[in-house]
Amino acid sequence: MKGYRKYFGKKLLWFVITFIVAVILNFVLPRLMPADPVASITGRLAGGNSDASAVAEIYERYQKEFGTDKPMIEQFILFCKNAIHGNFGLSFSQYPRSVSNIIASAIGWTIALQFPAIIVGWLLGNILGALAAYIRKGYDKVLLPIALFLGNVPAFGMAVIMLVVFGVYLKIAPLSGGYAFDMIPHLSWDFIKSVISHYQLPFWSIVIISIGGQAVGMRSMSIYELNADYVKYSRFLGIKDRKIVGYVFRNAMLPQVTGLAMSIGTMIGGALVAEIIFSYPGLGSTMYSAVTAADYPLISATTLIITVMVLVVTFLLDIIYGFIDPRVKAAQFE
Amino acid sequence: MGKVMLEVKNLKTKYITRFHEDVYAVDGVSFAIEEGKSLGIAGESGCGKSTLALSMMGYYFPPLHYMSGDIIIDGQNISGMDPDAVRKSILGTEIAYIPQAAMNALNPTQRIIRFIEDVVRAHDPKKSKAEIREMAEARFAELGLPADALMKHAVELSGGMKQRTVIAVSTILNPKVLIADEPSSALDVTSQKMVIKMMRELMEKGYIKSMLFITHELPLLYNVTDDIMVMYAGQIVEKGTAQQMVFDPVHPYSHGLMKSILVPEEGTRGHKLTAIPGAPPNLKRPPDGCRFAARCKYATADCRYTAIPEKTFDEGRMYRCLMGVDKLKEVYGEDE
Amino acid sequence: MKNTLRQVFHSSKFVGGFVIFVAILLTLIIYPLINPGNPLQQIGVGTFAKPGTYVSLYDATKAPTETLRLPDAGDKRLASSLTEEDKVAMVEWFTAVEADISDLDTNDTDKMLEMWEQYYDPSVKPKGMIRAKINYFKRLDAALQELKSGDTIIIAEEGEDGALVESKKILDTDYVNTKSVANVKSLPLGTDNFGRDVLKELVSATGTSIRIGLIAGIVATLIGLTLGLLAGYVGGFLDDFIMFITNIFTVIPGFVLLILISYSIGQEQRGAAVVAVVIGFTSWTWTCRSVRSQVISLRNRDHVNLSKLSGHSLLRIVLTDILPYIASYVVMAFILQVSSGILSEAQLSLLGLGPKTTEVPTLGLMMNWAMLYSAHTNGSWWAYFPVILTITLISFSLNLMNTGLDQVFNPTLRD
Repeated sequence: MKGYRKYFGKKLLWFVITFIVAVILNFVLPRLMPADPVASITGRLAGGNSDASAVAEIYERYQKEFGTDKPMIEQFILFCKNAIHGNFGLSFSQYPRSVSNIIASAIGWTIALQFPAIIVGWLLGNILGALAAYIRKGYDKVLLPIALFLGNVPAFGMAVIMLVVFGVYLKIAPLSGGYAFDMIPHLSWDFIKSVISHYQLPFWSIVIISIGGQAVGMRSMSIYELNADYVKYSRFLGIKDRKIVGYVFRNAMLPQVTGLAMSIGTMIGGALVAEIIFSYPGLGSTMYSAVTAADYPLISATTLIITVMVLVVTFLLDIIYGFIDPRVKAAQFE
Repeated sequence: MGKVMLEVKNLKTKYITRFHEDVYAVDGVSFAIEEGKSLGIAGESGCGKSTLALSMMGYYFPPLHYMSGDIIIDGQNISGMDPDAVRKSILGTEIAYIPQAAMNALNPTQRIIRFIEDVVRAHDPKKSKAEIREMAEARFAELGLPADALMKHAVELSGGMKQRTVIAVSTILNPKVLIADEPSSALDVTSQKMVIKMMRELMEKGYIKSMLFITHELPLLYNVTDDIMVMYAGQIVEKGTAQQMVFDPVHPYSHGLMKSILVPEEGTRGHKLTAIPGAPPNLKRPPDGCRFAARCKYATADCRYTAIPEKTFDEGRMYRCLMGVDKLKEVYGEDE
Repeated sequence: MKNTLRQVFHSSKFVGGFVIFVAILLTLIIYPLINPGNPLQQIGVGTFAKPGTYVSLYDATKAPTETLRLPDAGDKRLASSLTEEDKVAMVEWFTAVEADISDLDTNDTDKMLEMWEQYYDPSVKPKGMIRAKINYFKRLDAALQELKSGDTIIIAEEGEDGALVESKKILDTDYVNTKSVANVKSLPLGTDNFGRDVLKELVSATGTSIRIGLIAGIVATLIGLTLGLLAGYVGGFLDDFIMFITNIFTVIPGFVLLILISYSIGQEQRGAAVVAVVIGFTSWTWTCRSVRSQVISLRNRDHVNLSKLSGHSLLRIVLTDILPYIASYVVMAFILQVSSGILSEAQLSLLGLGPKTTEVPTLGLMMNWAMLYSAHTNGSWWAYFPVILTITLISFSLNLMNTGLDQVFNPTLRD
């Protein structure tokens, strides 16, 4: 257990360091722009906006809260202080809503959509990859190219195709949104039904795109394990093939947890874009509307939240992996 | 003469490559091991000795394929038996195997005791976990292995411990024949000694009845086994007792092999060390005549085109060369 | 080297991917020669003209005519102008007069019309049908009959006194050879929301996207390779430092960095090349990681040690004793980087953070435009589907080549 604590401590330290770097990047990158981002954007906005006085007011308030006229270091401290209190300023485009309010209403949708979808996709992908490795013959010639081809359909492409096929032509699923547009979120049977029917298309399109990459990875991992010495040895001791296949898949599957941790950033990127296609009311769509409206505080906060989510998930997966795979235990815990 | 535990008659197996070519890796091998005896097989890498070990298990999976010949364990011919029957009633109980790379022979994510449970239950599904555990603990204690190793994962064991664990697991069902393929080659000297000691113990205590020991280290064989065979290009070229083979090799290949190794004994310091030039023949198309002819400095035109029979001499010695024993000894003498 | 190449081209997967990729490249080179011009030129005024061949109506009326009496011309004319609504109404009538419609296919216009002839009778008044509906069916029948008979179209010109004077009659049997029509435009993939030729735009966009992928791949591979070589070969503090940076950037999602940087650069400064470099800068980490681990396994090989003892410079050792051994690996990593670069551009553009829209089309921008103008919900498949297919084909071919190489260089995956 002492070893595990050390492993945990090391991972936690990494998490904290990465977190700090992520926050700094999130703060610094937009400020590397030649002009003050907020000022230039507000200027541009005010030009075409009928409500110029409102924009000016947001800007002033933002400047006061975030001290955009003060030196960088001071700004950064203010930024951190505000972020800890969940204060990211007011949204430029959805005035007078606050950024944290917008994010709070979006984050639940994203978590509820993406995590189950990615996990289901991961599981299905692993099962298919393992089967593919075990069957080999025929699969390699015919199914592998097909699987590879499908795995290369970009996330947004899969989303659009699903939307057109199931939403537009077959009309068995609604086209966009998280629930029927004439409803107000509340706890009722009708609302839940509407949410579930709107959930299907985005969910399955993320599942399908996650399957491809995972299956290919699991297939090579399983083939590698099937050629391992312990397989031959176990066979020569008279152990049944079915039992040995069990060993192989367990061993191939465990590193896939790390594979998931490593690819979760990329997967969420694709899934966020899929959200946009379905106008799903999550962080992806929030980010999209923020970008199109040049809503600087909202972009900054959304990217930060997504980074934090990915960091936390990666950290948790690392911890779980360390617990369940004795190979890591042996390498890391002593 | 004791009871014959393992008899191999004219065994032939081949590999089929992914380009559908046949590689005749074991080409007509015959020998026998008596109860309580051990036999060593020596040869360069690629001579087919590891393939011979795999072929004797009677359990084939691609790319290795059985062609012909008999493998008789304690009177029971296992060649041609249904693979599932071999798996159930032969592997592990009649004949057991210690693989070349024992470092990776254990499933890294499984506790040793769980693996032992799987091994025992593959042959006797009724055995309870407690019984197996008791049995494993007793055997580990007997062989001087720490009992807590049972609860560990393979990755948590050191190299030497892993190897000794593999040996203990392989012999847990008291197989009649144990085939060990380079069990100690990858170990440091101390671990190597412990492994050898353990294998001797297994024989002495009667857990195994006979042993086939494969290695490229001849001096090791001299210390471990009763008899030695030298293998070249899929065939046995010479067979005799350890003493005879090391100090009085007859076949030009064995002779060259002995001269190319260092035996740390008195008198060997001054010996000239020679390596055998050339490479073994391609086993996709083995030559018609003597397989060693291309590298043999005493070879004549006849050697290349005449099939060489196994010849016996003295008592129980065998070699495969066109020249007579006396003639060979004479040419060796001239060389000195 | 020659032997390795031969082996690589023996792998059916590699060859498959290679053929697809080369076919795409050839199209990119040849198509602009056949159909030159600015891909961003707006030729259509409306949005989303359907794929097909467009014949200038103006020129066609002036072209010499031939008379052809084709037996099914009338039916075809009818079929092409029969709306879904009409069909629904017809089915409604059939049901009302209790005709057998069990195996009626509404897409089989001939059959529908035949049945209409058979079952429609203006004197029949189905039970329970209101008068308005009955009158509706009369109008429908009249319209159908009129379509079938083929009224003459008269073209009139304004005379000297301002009155219209008939200049030409067009009969339903008049035909014009497309060769004698001065302006015929083939648009195999129709036009997009701005009225641009989608196929021409797609070819140009594919070229740009592949270039973006290549630049991103080169940048990422160069950074990853240099850092990986340094970290792996030099080791020590440098290794720790590089791995520290790499670990951090592996965990922070590259996609988020990409968004932040692209946004910070601003729309005006974002040319295709800039976007490509930014993508490269955010995706080098795993190349670095894998190069490093390969180099570490090579670092203590005999030939490297020999070079070290011979006093060769670091650069020379790296170039002659290490690079050749990891070359296949680097090539594979590069191929994957190119493919993910193309994908990254597309995702960025969909978010509205792609290259600026005025210079060149990219696959991502085309996708973004199609989505902005709801091509996917209004049935204009030609505006987005070819784009998805192209991205998929490019990344499929690259990945297939990669799998092929992997099987050649990592024999455990063989069989």
